[in-house]
Order: sequence, then structure tokens, then C-alpha cells
Amino acid sequence: MKPKRLLLAEDDTMLASLLKYRLEKDGYVVAVKHDGHQMKTAITEQLPDAIISDVMMPYFSGIELVDYLRNDLKTDIPIILISAASNEENVVSALKLGANDFIAKPVSPTELLIRVARELNRYY
Amino acid sequence: MNTRELLTHLSKLENGLDSFSFSELNTTEAKALKKSFESFKNGLETKVFGGDSVAALQADALTVTSINNSKEHTVIANVSHEIRTPLNGIVGFVDLLKETPLTQKQFELTNALSKASQNLMDIVNELLEFSKLAAGREKFAKVPFNLKNLVNEVGFLCRTLITNKDITLQVTMDEGIPHSLIGDPAKLSQILLNLMGNSVKFVEKGKIQLKVHFIKEENNEVFLDFDVVDTGIGIANDKLNDIFETYQQAEPDTQLKYGGSGLGLSIVKELIGKMKGQITVQSTLGRGTVFKVTLPFEKASTDDVQQTVTKQNKRVEGKGLEGTKVLVFEDNTLNQKLMENRLKNWGCETIITANGLYGLKLLENHHFDMVLMDLRMPGMNGFEITRRIRNNSNYMLQTIPIIAISADMSASDKDKCHEYGVSDFILKPYNSDELQNMMGFHLNQNRVGNTGTPNNWVAGPKMNPANLAPILEECLGQIELLDELIRLFKQNMLEFIGKVKMHLQNNNLQGIGFAAHKIKSSLKMMEASSLFEICETISETCKESKDTQALTVLYHRFLEEYPKVEKFIDLEIKKLK
Repeated sequence: MKPKRLLLAEDDTMLASLLKYRLEKDGYVVAVKHDGHQMKTAITEQLPDAIISDVMMPYFSGIELVDYLRNDLKTDIPIILISAASNEENVVSALKLGANDFIAKPVSPTELLIRVARELNRYY
Repeated sequence: MNTRELLTHLSKLENGLDSFSFSELNTTEAKALKKSFESFKNGLETKVFGGDSVAALQADALTVTSINNSKEHTVIANVSHEIRTPLNGIVGFVDLLKETPLTQKQFELTNALSKASQNLMDIVNELLEFSKLAAGREKFAKVPFNLKNLVNEVGFLCRTLITNKDITLQVTMDEGIPHSLIGDPAKLSQILLNLMGNSVKFVEKGKIQLKVHFIKEENNEVFLDFDVVDTGIGIANDKLNDIFETYQQAEPDTQLKYGGSGLGLSIVKELIGKMKGQITVQSTLGRGTVFKVTLPFEKASTDDVQQTVTKQNKRVEGKGLEGTKVLVFEDNTLNQKLMENRLKNWGCETIITANGLYGLKLLENHHFDMVLMDLRMPGMNGFEITRRIRNNSNYMLQTIPIIAISADMSASDKDKCHEYGVSDFILKPYNSDELQNMMGFHLNQNRVGNTGTPNNWVAGPKMNPANLAPILEECLGQIELLDELIRLFKQNMLEFIGKVKMHLQNNNLQGIGFAAHKIKSSLKMMEASSLFEICETISETCKESKDTQALTVLYHRFLEEYPKVEKFIDLEIKKLK
């Protein structure tokens, strides 16, 4: 089976590296973007199977990203948001806009793997 | 600004950094600094110059007189974005390096680095300032100010720019101009200093004049002309219209010979436009240039500007200041330079800082004979610094002479001086004799058995600064990955330090809050609880009390705490390997 391709938008380079490693270890192909602009271009160029994005990103927030995916591109690519626990309002509005799931910071890589797999209908 | 300018600054920075590769300078910070610069340069090469190496471009820049304009524009647009983050890292490193014990040579090198990175930062900030102005996002103050003081001050500062040149500088003001006006004094100073600074650049030998003329008074508005006249190289007629254009300098080699970002006059023109004034220029090649700025100001009632306090005269007979150790709190770089030269001439040993907390730390750990204090400093102001000096348990600090320096001192400021424990004060502009006498007087007064013991640092509670076990587990035991994550962690921390420093200078609380929020995950992953707490407090302070002073304190606590965490992490990873 072709490996699933993921786009990860996270501007904390350390967290991004850790998550990339763990996702790749699990058989995904992962591209990391460090800001919203890069992310936007990458989506249309790479058409990933799923997107993982931090809510607070430079230039283009995770919420704007969900809006862009669902309302401009009109695509249902699964998107999982990473958000600080204190950011409940944002999470709710992101889910309303059509985000599939969210994961609270500090991110547990294992939890993220499970949530990603669930969105892609892979089961452990 | 063009590629050449940037390259000059880059190579200066690089030269400074190269000096740090001496084996005797083997501190972790110096190494990290070097590494950060490498990534900074690589980033620039790929992102800004599209893969051309800096060295190749530099060779290019020396032979080609004018670089393709559109390329420059791309460079400029990219630079402000691409440069800031890694530059923040460099500024952060240098700040940390300054906190470590340094030899005289290392101290000088660090200072040179600090200056070089600050220059680069200034250029980037100038670019951003211009874009802010152009977008109409700049705010203008409407406050009463004393015009005469301002004009004198500008002349005074301008004199300090003249080094090794035979230039006379003359400042004149028409009789009968109201001294008390309402407007934005900082912007007016900026305009005048920019124009006069230009003159200093372009006059080798001759005269520079600032003439202030009264034009008219209408509906409580006063119209004034500020003429900046010089006998410099002049500007050719067909170039006169171009000089206010963005990034334009009159001649292609102006940059090489005189430096500058090419934005100065554009900024001046924008400022004047926004202040409802106008600027014209007349020039004869080889003879000189006249910039005429017309600006309206509101007239202030005499109550608005407090009467100047009478000057104090305390004569001291032939008391030299040689060997006096002076700490100066001053944030304006021109004033810093001025003060440095002046005190050096009198034989004083001088340290100048713009940072209240840093200065306080210096005072606690080193012996000083006297403090000169600019009262209006960003962040912690002079009164607050004075209060903290006086409240220190060290007897020497309770009694050290503190001379306050201020441009405008109201009656309430005068009271405050006494209240906070300022020993004496002097008004800007002052003549150097006045200051010298005052310093001599207070030095004598204080020279009575000061034999206090230096303060000892109190050690904090014992607790591990970080914990690598959980993150190693997340790395599935891969030490190499952990090593890489630690490298990124350090990079993030230093970028954070640099960013916060810059945002503090610009009073950008939102930026600080965002930066603090951003590194929380990294800190949590490393279980660096002390830093995490500091960061959380920073976040909260940015949202709630918006107390810049508290933020400055927190920033410095972070600066103190971080090296401990880094050292601990380095030791732990060594053990793991």
C-alpha cells in the first residue's frame, strides 16, 4: 500500500522534529512547514492525505487554515489541530468550521499517532 | 539599503565572530554564537540571495557599480522577514555572553559583536519603520515641549557625530519664537537629526547650520521654518527630485562612500507629510545643500511647560576626576557616545548601560564611585532605578552619589528627585564644566570611609533545572534524535531571548506574549520547570497587567536561569552518550 502523506504545520522546530520522527517511524511520509504561508502553498501542491496544524501559526492561523480548506478549496482532507489547552474558544470555532479533531498541548506523540490513524481509518 | 550595505555589516559581524574561534575563548556561548551565525548566513544565502554565496556576491558588489534594482527590492522585502529571527538569535547569544565572566579582550570583542548585530538590527528596524509609516500605522504624539531645549539638544547631539572633520556647527533661532509648543518632539528631533546627520556625512570641511525661523502665527498655530544649511558636496539639479524616493541615493557610489540605508530622507519626508508640513531642497553641486522644513505647531500655554529649574552651581577647587569609576544609565546611543567621550577626557572609567536591571547587577557586583542617571529611560525609569539602588542592603549603594540628568524637569520631578534619593540633578543641555564641578563636589562629599563588603549572591533552592528522561522516552531511546532536539531547543531559546529583547525595546507586549507562548511546549518537554514558570508569568503579564517593568525583570531572570538549564542538559546528554 502506498504510504499516507501528511503535512505538519508547527513553528516550534523542536516539537515539529519530534512529531515528524514519530510519524515517519509509523510509516507516514511527512512534510513539515513552519508558517501558514508555506502551509497554504504546500496543500495545493502536495495534496496530502491529512493535515496536522498548530492553531497559533505565523501569518495564517490554524483556524484560518480550516476555513480555507473547507470553504475555499472545498476539500474534506482530514485536519487535526494542535492547541494550547487554554484555547478552548478557538478549538470550538475550529471544530464548527470543520476541523476533524484536536489535540491539546503539551502534545503526546503517541496520542497524536492514534488520532491521525483514526482519521485515516487505520486501526492498531 | 542595498546588498552591499548588508554585506558590509555581515562581514563585520563575521570578522567579530571569527575572533571568537581562538581556543582561549572556548565558552559554550561563543561556540553557539558561531553556530548561530553559520545558520544565519546559510539562511541568508539560500533564502535571500537565491543560492549565490555571500562571498560571490561580495566580489560582485565590488565590481558592479549598481546592482539591478528589482533584485535589490526583492532582497529588501525578504531581508526584513528572513533576517529578524536568526538575528534575534545572535542578539540573544551576545546578551548571554555578556553575562559570563569575561577577560578584557573578550569584553571588547563582545562589545564589538553587540554593536555589529545592533547595527544590522537598526537597519532592519529602519526598513520596518518605513513600511509602518507608509502604511499609515505610525502614531504621532501631541504633547507640550520646549523648542529651545530641543533645538539645542539636536545641535549638541549633532556635534558628537562630527569626528576627525573640520566642521563648524551653528544653531540659531529667531527671537520671539514661543519656546513652549505642542506637537511630537521625538519626531521633530528625528527629522532634524536625520537631516543634520546627512550634512555631517557629506561635509568634509566647512559649516553646517540649523536655523529656526518664525513664519507666522494663525489660529493659535505657529508655523516655523527649520533650515539645515551645509557646505557639503551638494546634489546635482537633475538628482534633486530623486533623493526623497525610497532606496534612492543621489549617486550610485553614495552607499559605498557614505553608507546609509537610502531610507533616511524617505522617512523624513513621510514624517513631515504626516505632520502637515513640507520639505524643499536647494543645492549647488560642490557648494552645498539647503533643506527647508516648514512645520506647524500648536502654541502651548505657559502652564503646559514647567518653568525650567534654576541651575545649580557648586564650585569645587581643582578636584580631578581621574580614576573615578562611573556607571551611566543612558539609552540614547548618541548621548551614550557623548558621555563616553566626555568622561574619558576627564580620566574616568566608564560603563554605560541602557538597561536598568543590568546596571543594578553591575552595581551590586563591582565597585563604582558614582552614578549618572538619565531619568527618562524606557522600561525601568531613572527614579525607579534610583529607588532600587538606595534600597539595596549594601551600604555603599545607599550612599553612592547619583546625579540625575534630564532635558525637562518639572517641579514635581524635582521633588521626586529628593524623595527617591537622587543626590543632585543637572538639566540638558548643560556645559561640561557644570557636570565636572558637580561630579567633583559629590565625590568629595562621599569620600568618607566607604569600606562596605561586596554582596554575595544567594543561591536558589536545589532542584534539577530540567529532566531528559520523558523526552528520551518519546524519542524511543534514540540519542541521536534527542541530540538534534536539544540543538533545536537551544536555538529556540536563543531566538526567544533575542526576540523578547527587541520587543521590550519596541514595547511590543503582544510580540512578547506570543514568543513566550511559543516556547512553552519545548520547555515542558524538557521539564525545565523554572523557565516554564518564568514564561508563563511573562504570558500572563502580557495579557493582564501589561507591566513592562515586570517584564524586564522576568526577562533578566530568564537570562540568568537559562545558562543553568543549558549546562545541565549538556551534562545529562554527555552521560547518556
